[in-house]
Amino acid sequence: MKTTRRTIMRTGMAAAGAAAAPGILTAQTRPPASRTIRAVMHGDIPTYDPIWTTANMSAYHGAMVYDQLFGVDDKLQPKPQMVSKYGVSDDQLTWTFELRDGLKFSDGSSVTAADAAASIRRWAVRSGTGQLMLQRLKDISTKDDKTFVVSLKERFPLLLDGFSSPSTPVLFVMRKKEAETDPMQKIDTIIGSGPFVMNQAETRAGSQYIYDKNPNYNPRNEPPSASAGGKVVKVDRVIFQNMPDSQTAVAALQAGEIDFYEIPPIDLLDQIQTDRNINLINLADLGTVGYIGLNWLHPPFDNKLLRQSLLYIVNQEEMMKPTFVDRKWYAACGGWMTCGSPMENDANTGWFKGGPNLAKAGELMKAGGYDGRPVVVLQATNIPYMMNAATVFAQQLRAAGYNVQLAPMDWANVVQRRANKGAPDQGGWNVFFTSSGGLSNANPYMIGGMATTGDKGWFGWPSDAKNEELRTKWINAPTLAERQAVGRELQENAWDIVPHMYYGQWRQPAAHRKNVTGWLKVPEAIPLWNVSKT
Amino acid sequence: MTGTILRRLLSMLPVMGIVAICVFLLLHLAPGDPASIIAGENATPENIARIRTQLGLDQPVWKQFLVWLVALVQGDLGTSMFWGDPVSSLIAQRAEPTVSLAITTLLVAVFLAISIGVLAAAKAGSWIDRLVMGFAVLGFSVPVFVVGYVLIFVFAINLKWLPVQGYSPIADGLVLWLRNLVLPSIALGMAYVALIARITRTTMLDVLAEDYMRTARAKGVATRSMLFRHALKNAAVPIATIIGNGIALLIGGVVITETVFNIPGIGRLVVDAIARRDYPIIQGVIMVFSGVYVLVNLLVDLSYTLFDPRVRG
Repeated sequence: MKTTRRTIMRTGMAAAGAAAAPGILTAQTRPPASRTIRAVMHGDIPTYDPIWTTANMSAYHGAMVYDQLFGVDDKLQPKPQMVSKYGVSDDQLTWTFELRDGLKFSDGSSVTAADAAASIRRWAVRSGTGQLMLQRLKDISTKDDKTFVVSLKERFPLLLDGFSSPSTPVLFVMRKKEAETDPMQKIDTIIGSGPFVMNQAETRAGSQYIYDKNPNYNPRNEPPSASAGGKVVKVDRVIFQNMPDSQTAVAALQAGEIDFYEIPPIDLLDQIQTDRNINLINLADLGTVGYIGLNWLHPPFDNKLLRQSLLYIVNQEEMMKPTFVDRKWYAACGGWMTCGSPMENDANTGWFKGGPNLAKAGELMKAGGYDGRPVVVLQATNIPYMMNAATVFAQQLRAAGYNVQLAPMDWANVVQRRANKGAPDQGGWNVFFTSSGGLSNANPYMIGGMATTGDKGWFGWPSDAKNEELRTKWINAPTLAERQAVGRELQENAWDIVPHMYYGQWRQPAAHRKNVTGWLKVPEAIPLWNVSKT
Repeated sequence: MTGTILRRLLSMLPVMGIVAICVFLLLHLAPGDPASIIAGENATPENIARIRTQLGLDQPVWKQFLVWLVALVQGDLGTSMFWGDPVSSLIAQRAEPTVSLAITTLLVAVFLAISIGVLAAAKAGSWIDRLVMGFAVLGFSVPVFVVGYVLIFVFAINLKWLPVQGYSPIADGLVLWLRNLVLPSIALGMAYVALIARITRTTMLDVLAEDYMRTARAKGVATRSMLFRHALKNAAVPIATIIGNGIALLIGGVVITETVFNIPGIGRLVVDAIARRDYPIIQGVIMVFSGVYVLVNLLVDLSYTLFDPRVRG
């Protein structure tokens, strides 16, 4: 065949068409924009296994594709979700659960009691509450395809709280095949029975994560309430777009290119509020708690009196204001557990009520024998609220007479350095800043930072036997009122030993287009069921 | 010619080897812990240590380097610590937006820069010359992200002519593809236009002062023909050189532009990877970018033979 310019052109066009065809076909099968929600969340999904990590974004992913045995309602009370009915024996040692009819995984297979039992076992190894359950667990057995039984050696009043908790790691139900994976190994197969199915073909890790409505999902026939009730999906597709630049995300929201932005910067809220197409919404009443980690292994904060001196120096209001500007977004909180939670109380908060008292702090510094040695404060410069709080904290300590050295670095560096148990002048540290969800912080067992187990504990490594006894007492308290009473004792002791401190509590509003409605409040998660677009 | 190309390609090997060593050492000596980030904020030290072991980060640096190098020589760029996907497939997924952005920027920038550079040289000393040089100073001085935000504010938010962010694959339609690339290309191209325009002007002024140009003018050659057929061809070697060298500027700019305009390209991939210390991705992308840079400069060297017969000889 003679090669002419025309044959070259024809061949070229055919080749281009063939190359573009898969993309064009994909584009044609995409749901319309009116049935698609584009959401920009607070970060990227580090792994698709929500049990293996405590990263919140993995739990967001998990809430899309997996379902829970129990959810929490808007009063944070456990309510059956995948479970149809359940009961407990008189001695409270045998719990029997029956799954709802019609539950199916996205591969079409039915959800069975064996899947639920295997999922509980895997979750329990990685979860703080789950580990407590394991200590008391005799066995998890299945009676038939729909019924499983949790047998305990001793009572565990927090069982349903653990099963329903939205704090990471969340008890999501996986197929038995995946759930039997070593809890220390990541699962890459994404087959759940949740309201959405991940569209892995169109997902681009790090850029956009695509979830399509699960045609096999069978929601409860009840109105939705937080993570309880009917999870009715009202759109065809949800896209988690990873957009690290907040300025661009706000502009995209204003232009209608995205529908939801989880963490609009506080300094741009005025700009957002002037847009008549955008609403601000508070999706987490308990908000976030700012946590100041203190290193108990090295001077000066290995000394109780010097830790106590900090109570009279730290001014949360001043640390919050540079970032959150308006008091409607932040509050100072003298509680050991989250303010606004059932555990809030005022035990041993004289230091907080009285406000900063440098004279008292000076007395404690003198009594504690502070010798002027540097206090090394790790400052995460790429997270504005931590950076600002650390800057103000350093200045407050300097005003009281501490010799403070700020160590500015990015967050990746902070999380590495805070694990260093060495002396501050040998790569260690004295103070670091982080944050935790308000719900997690309302429970003395949910986050590692509440433990005082010394060398084996969380960063800072505080050690106090009384706190540990009280935590166990809290777990065993059968009613909320009794837990609240133990909560007071915990706080009384905590503000005496000062394992760590707080720099305030804030509620980060989310922003959404006004034509996207039906947002539900679930602490530490953003549910996309019940959300519709007009 | 073939021998020259082969020799130049072989000379790339030690360069890439040095790049590999530097990239690996810089990353692994810098502080930061991917295991802590993967594990999540409430993870226990034991869990973090376990993840570190699973990722091989508990091994000595020299051993990690050897493992990486052996795989690299076999064409394996490794696996992302976060997603577990091969780095090569992540780069391949992200290549289209970056290549599209680079090509549109390059085409627009080179065309515009050479045009205004030649114009400024032809009108040397006039207000047009000053305007072009003023623009060049501005274009080179204002950071890409500032240009980007201003363009978004004016053309996307206020005028609503173009999208704020994102990328539309070419398979979804040429118009959509171009609409998403207009603002990023302008933002990214500003510094590049400024650089090439200045060099074009200077080189053209030198050439225009040559005797043979005076002769051409005396013979009555039309101004356009004189500028573009005679002078520009003789000024082409330094211009081609600066276009090649400017690729480094372009690559650096791509990283920022993709972040500002939320383009899911290789630049965004590496920025996100740096924040998380996803070493295999950072190493893989830098190796690819370095290879592209070296190859482009090889092409530039080869292009000299088109412009200058003396090089061919």
